[in-house]
Amino acid sequence: MIKTAEVVIIGGGISGSSIAYNLAKKGVKNIVLLEKAYLSSGATGRCGAGIRQQWGTEMNCRIAKLSCDFFERANEELDYEEDIEFKQEGYLLLSSTDKEHQQFIKNVELQNSLGIPSKLLTLEEAKEIVPFLNTEGLVSATYCEKDGHLNPFHATQAYANAAERLGVKIYKFTEVTGILIEQGKIRGVKTTKGNIATNIVVNAAGGYAQLIGKMVKLDLPLYSERHQILVTEPMETILKPMVMSFSLNMYCQQVPHGGVIMGRGDENEPRDFRITSSWQFLDEMTTTVTKLLPPLKNARLLRQWGGLYNMTPDRQPIYGAVDEIEGFYLAVGYSGHGLMFGPATGLLMAEIILQEECTIPIDMLHLNRFRKGELIFEPSVV
Amino acid sequence: MRIQEHPILSFERGEKVFFTYNGKKLEGYEGETIAAALHAAGIKVLSHSIEHLKPRGFYCAIGNCSSCFMEVNGEANVRVCVEPLKEGMVVNTQIGKGDLL
Repeated sequence: MIKTAEVVIIGGGISGSSIAYNLAKKGVKNIVLLEKAYLSSGATGRCGAGIRQQWGTEMNCRIAKLSCDFFERANEELDYEEDIEFKQEGYLLLSSTDKEHQQFIKNVELQNSLGIPSKLLTLEEAKEIVPFLNTEGLVSATYCEKDGHLNPFHATQAYANAAERLGVKIYKFTEVTGILIEQGKIRGVKTTKGNIATNIVVNAAGGYAQLIGKMVKLDLPLYSERHQILVTEPMETILKPMVMSFSLNMYCQQVPHGGVIMGRGDENEPRDFRITSSWQFLDEMTTTVTKLLPPLKNARLLRQWGGLYNMTPDRQPIYGAVDEIEGFYLAVGYSGHGLMFGPATGLLMAEIILQEECTIPIDMLHLNRFRKGELIFEPSVV
Repeated sequence: MRIQEHPILSFERGEKVFFTYNGKKLEGYEGETIAAALHAAGIKVLSHSIEHLKPRGFYCAIGNCSSCFMEVNGEANVRVCVEPLKEGMVVNTQIGKGDLL
């Protein structure tokens, strides 16, 4: 195990891998990425894998567009010998109330002004995209053909391989057990495989980010919420876009292999890091999805699993340094959209750490927003 | 070939029934599985692997392994190893992963 590092990144998901790659690409030497299990073993590999640009705030639209544009060319840019399986076959968002419909109108206007080719659709137009959609109880839809879904394991591996070629050292099955601080400055990390001296630590620990915060006596405004997903056996492709409804609290997509993945959350989940599966989810999920997409009644389930959303009070990530701890950086609290923000996370965090001007202004995503009470309202999250 | 006598198990064979397999009329017994009837008729290739299209036959026999997916009465991905045979069933080799629509 290496003894000293310029930067230590905690977390081998899409965020940590992307940060490592972007720092290395900008010329930083001696970067270490620590992952307590295997790459994508946390939220990244457990997520619904959607990539959408249909957001309700300008900042989120910009972050999402930058990321989506990168994923389009990720195989080439990262020189990945396999395929991240980015299928841009659209995101179909469904509204169920007039209030939601009015929000969709505003969102599409904003998205279009930022170069995101989303459209407001009638339910008839939505049925042209998904002919078997049951529109009962729905009002309207928005659709962006450039949105889609990808394989999160491959996307993370692509970043990790590219980072390693640039000299990044990745230690898997290496858990951080403590962080060394002297006079308010980061001095190193303790791991299950030994200590590493460093002046810079990046917390990209996903569902466990608040535990890393505790190691530097920082009480981060985060909690982790279990979300569950199930997948059917593979079938011929019948569903091209990701279908999503905020008010029905569900999303559903068919991966290239043929399995249909679907998920929903429950904000009353106990906040205890559990990632077990529940029968309640199975019941609610299948009831909801078979009403909206009736042919799925005849699909057979393969398995279900759980993962952690790392939630902030305003459901926006926290990016940036921490005022009182020199050398401690946060890339946490994605509240369910860490994968789709991955490329932007890496670029922006590298810019922040190297004190460059950020490609997208993200000052308002600093931890201090919670101290000043300047929370950001994003109307379009599940 | 069918086992007629077994030291532990006893077979209560139902009525003789007819079904079609890829358009061919075959016979079996009510109460046995589709796979058993096909096997008795000498048909051992039930499906094909998705990627390389290699033949797949009777394997787990308890509905777990997905090796026996066939199209039965128009329904895709039927596990014929656990599906009881009935008079007049239309059993076909499935092409591809099975279509829900």
